[in-house]
Amino acid sequence: MTKGARQPFRTAVLILVWGWLLMLVLAPNLLVVGTSVLSRDPAEFIRLPFTLDNYIRLMDPLYLDVFLHSLYMAAVTTICCLIIGYPFAWALSRVSKRRQTLLVFLLIVPFWTNSLVRTYALKLLLATNGLINNALLAIGVIDEPLTLLYTELAVIIGLVYLLLPFMILPLYSVFDDLRDELLLASHDLGAGRWSTFVHVVVPLTLPGVLAGVLLVLLPAMGMFYVADVLGGSRNLLVGNVIKNQFLDARDWPFGAAASVLLTVAMAVLLFAHRLSRRRLGEEGG
Amino acid sequence: MERVIARWLPRTYLTLVYVLLYLPILVLVVFSFNASRTGYQWDGLSLHWYESLFNNRAMVKAMWNSLWLALVAATVSTVIGALTALALHRYRFRGKRMLNGMLFVVMMSPEIVLAISLLALFLLIGMQLGFMSLLLAHVTFCLPFVVITVMARLSGFDERLPEAARDLGASDFTMTRTVLIPVIMPALMAGWLLGFTLSLDDVVVSTFVSGPSYEILPLRIYSMVRVGLKPEVNALGTLLLVFSLVMLMLSQWILMRSKR
Amino acid sequence: MKKLALTGLMAVTLVGCGSSEPQVLNLYNWSEYMPQEVLDRFQEETGVQVIYTTYDSNEAMYARLKLLDDSAQYDLAVPSTYYVNKMRKEGLLAPIDHSQLTGFNNMDPELINLNIDPDNAYSVPFLWGTTGLAYDADDVEGEPAAWADLWDEAYQGRIVLTNDMREVFHVGLRVLGYSGNSTNPEEIEAAYEKLADLMPAVRTFNSDAPRMPYLEGETDIGMIWNGEAVMGKEDMPSLEFVYPEEGVIVWLDSFVIPKNAKNIEAAHQFISFVMRPDISALISEEIGYATPNLEARNQLEAEVANDRTSYPTPEDMVNAEFQEDVGDEALQLYNKYWELLKAGR
Repeated sequence: MTKGARQPFRTAVLILVWGWLLMLVLAPNLLVVGTSVLSRDPAEFIRLPFTLDNYIRLMDPLYLDVFLHSLYMAAVTTICCLIIGYPFAWALSRVSKRRQTLLVFLLIVPFWTNSLVRTYALKLLLATNGLINNALLAIGVIDEPLTLLYTELAVIIGLVYLLLPFMILPLYSVFDDLRDELLLASHDLGAGRWSTFVHVVVPLTLPGVLAGVLLVLLPAMGMFYVADVLGGSRNLLVGNVIKNQFLDARDWPFGAAASVLLTVAMAVLLFAHRLSRRRLGEEGG
Repeated sequence: MERVIARWLPRTYLTLVYVLLYLPILVLVVFSFNASRTGYQWDGLSLHWYESLFNNRAMVKAMWNSLWLALVAATVSTVIGALTALALHRYRFRGKRMLNGMLFVVMMSPEIVLAISLLALFLLIGMQLGFMSLLLAHVTFCLPFVVITVMARLSGFDERLPEAARDLGASDFTMTRTVLIPVIMPALMAGWLLGFTLSLDDVVVSTFVSGPSYEILPLRIYSMVRVGLKPEVNALGTLLLVFSLVMLMLSQWILMRSKR
Repeated sequence: MKKLALTGLMAVTLVGCGSSEPQVLNLYNWSEYMPQEVLDRFQEETGVQVIYTTYDSNEAMYARLKLLDDSAQYDLAVPSTYYVNKMRKEGLLAPIDHSQLTGFNNMDPELINLNIDPDNAYSVPFLWGTTGLAYDADDVEGEPAAWADLWDEAYQGRIVLTNDMREVFHVGLRVLGYSGNSTNPEEIEAAYEKLADLMPAVRTFNSDAPRMPYLEGETDIGMIWNGEAVMGKEDMPSLEFVYPEEGVIVWLDSFVIPKNAKNIEAAHQFISFVMRPDISALISEEIGYATPNLEARNQLEAEVANDRTSYPTPEDMVNAEFQEDVGDEALQLYNKYWELLKAGR
């Protein structure tokens, strides 16, 4: 304690950051949890009494259906990102160090145009009169324009496009740490390529996979604007439901309950992530 | 043969994915110079959309607002984030693990969860939705990224240096200023850049915590693209890209000069 | 480093001061519902800059106004009739000071002093219009003439509906022969069942610019606002507007001033400006909706004044029904079925 008093710098920094996090992270989240167990009020947004109705409503077949469909689209997005990103991150970690810096940088550049603008650019590509259809028609692959825009597929394409870097970056960092000696050792011990991949590469990159899944799956459920622009208000995400409750229907308690559900999903994934790292640590040591 | 494949397959794959990543952006840039109004077919070169963009005062204002917000948010989060990283690195204190954990949770939280929780807070304390609310929100979601970037740099840092400095009689503050900060400078730049990028790219959080008194791009663009094809948006996206690239080159140049 | 921090701090304080700039009018309006020229001319004449932000449904407008109620960020909004009534009753609006207005006597007597707002104490009519049926004559065979034609299997996946709860249910209710303002739970449920049959054929909902899905080639038939049909026809001559047999939906959008508006004087100034016959005529010509300003109607170009899409003839208005407030209880019911409808696939 006396030590703290002698270090005004330390005290000041700790107060600043703790203050920030308590005020802008902990308190708001507690507010949301609190809101989720209150009742809707048409005039003042929320009112007593406490109730669990909002959570029960989430189990209503209607919302359950929206949630499951949103989860399904997010899951497909995540799997696509993983399938594209895994070999990509591996290949990226194999090029020379100097090029790597540039290539990683190139992954970030698209973000400077704002994701809404990029979503809009995708619309130019996917529309019935859009570039993809025009190109395919021109080379004679199809006779009739494909129906791409305002479909589930369009939403998934949009999500994959926007979220792919978030899958690649954590994967790249684990591949970057994966030392060649380990692979060689495995090879020397007589393991075939497949066996090395399954028993060495996959377990060692698992934390990266889980981090990537975490960074893709949950945002993919929340990016309401992708569903709006590319899904034509027909393929709703959980994010759309939450946004509608807060900004259209004014049912805050219900929107808060949906948000708490997302937070719980995040907690479960975070727990799995930690577990995998701990297990890996034990095996390694 | 096998070696050739092993050599070229990864490269081809990398190239392919980059092409797909940049295709929409390329379309955006090319079509921003397209004379056609519908935006689907090529009708010849024109700067018409840039002109109409600059004549759209609300849009230009929103663009400056966005860039300004990103600059300030990145700067504030870099300052707080760097200090936090230093504290986490150097000091032992109660609740250190919890602090770490909280930062990690913020980083992983879906934006929409953060967005509504902040909206609820701002409403409760009666804060006007505008620049301040946007800044607080943006700094909050940038913070953990800065902390992690700076921490990574610090973990590879020789502990004896600051101790030597202190033995020579330097105060904590002096030591931080003269020894630590130069060491973590590249991480500060990286963290700042990350914050700037995240702020400029954000749609979800901004949708909830902004008001008409300080309108930023995402909302402006949102109302435009929902209406339909707007070639001005292409021009705007191109300008943002160019602006950010120039900023980046400028910062690289400054960094190089300061190293010399 | 210190410099950076300082710059940051200065930035905060500077912008903090800047936000109290005077002479700004925050107008909260539907997408594409006010020509830029009007805003520019208003600024030229008065020096007041109009900040135009948009919404795509009464519900969104209402929710955001309530949200920002205390911080008084909007000076003017444009709800539809039934929301004027709701907001007035809930005390969300500031009274209109008629002594500050000029040109109100030009208003069509049939569109003022309605039961939604007696004596126009809280609202001034801006534009009125209809929601009818539109189709692309190049892609649709025959001539659809009724809402019921939407249920034709030929239009699978080619239909657009407005993203407006009340309007979509209005169609469902009228097809079944009920009033579009029904508060009867059984009728609303029946309309829901009817609309649920249509859902698989619906490609998209759009209330920002319902003409766009037609122009983009994504849809061939569906609902549209008459002004959108007029604007759409300029780019796509094959876009036809039809007054459906079951009756068109009629609505009136009015200016209202939110209770805590900062710049009430400029709000009145702007309403007066829009009520000027030349400005009202300009707006109607530009965006295709009908002006309630009789003096402005006399000044319209003949082409616009005689356009049946903008200004319907009495026979077009047979079966037409005006949108009315249905009350919170019925609204919650509509809301529930609306969510069901949009979530169902």
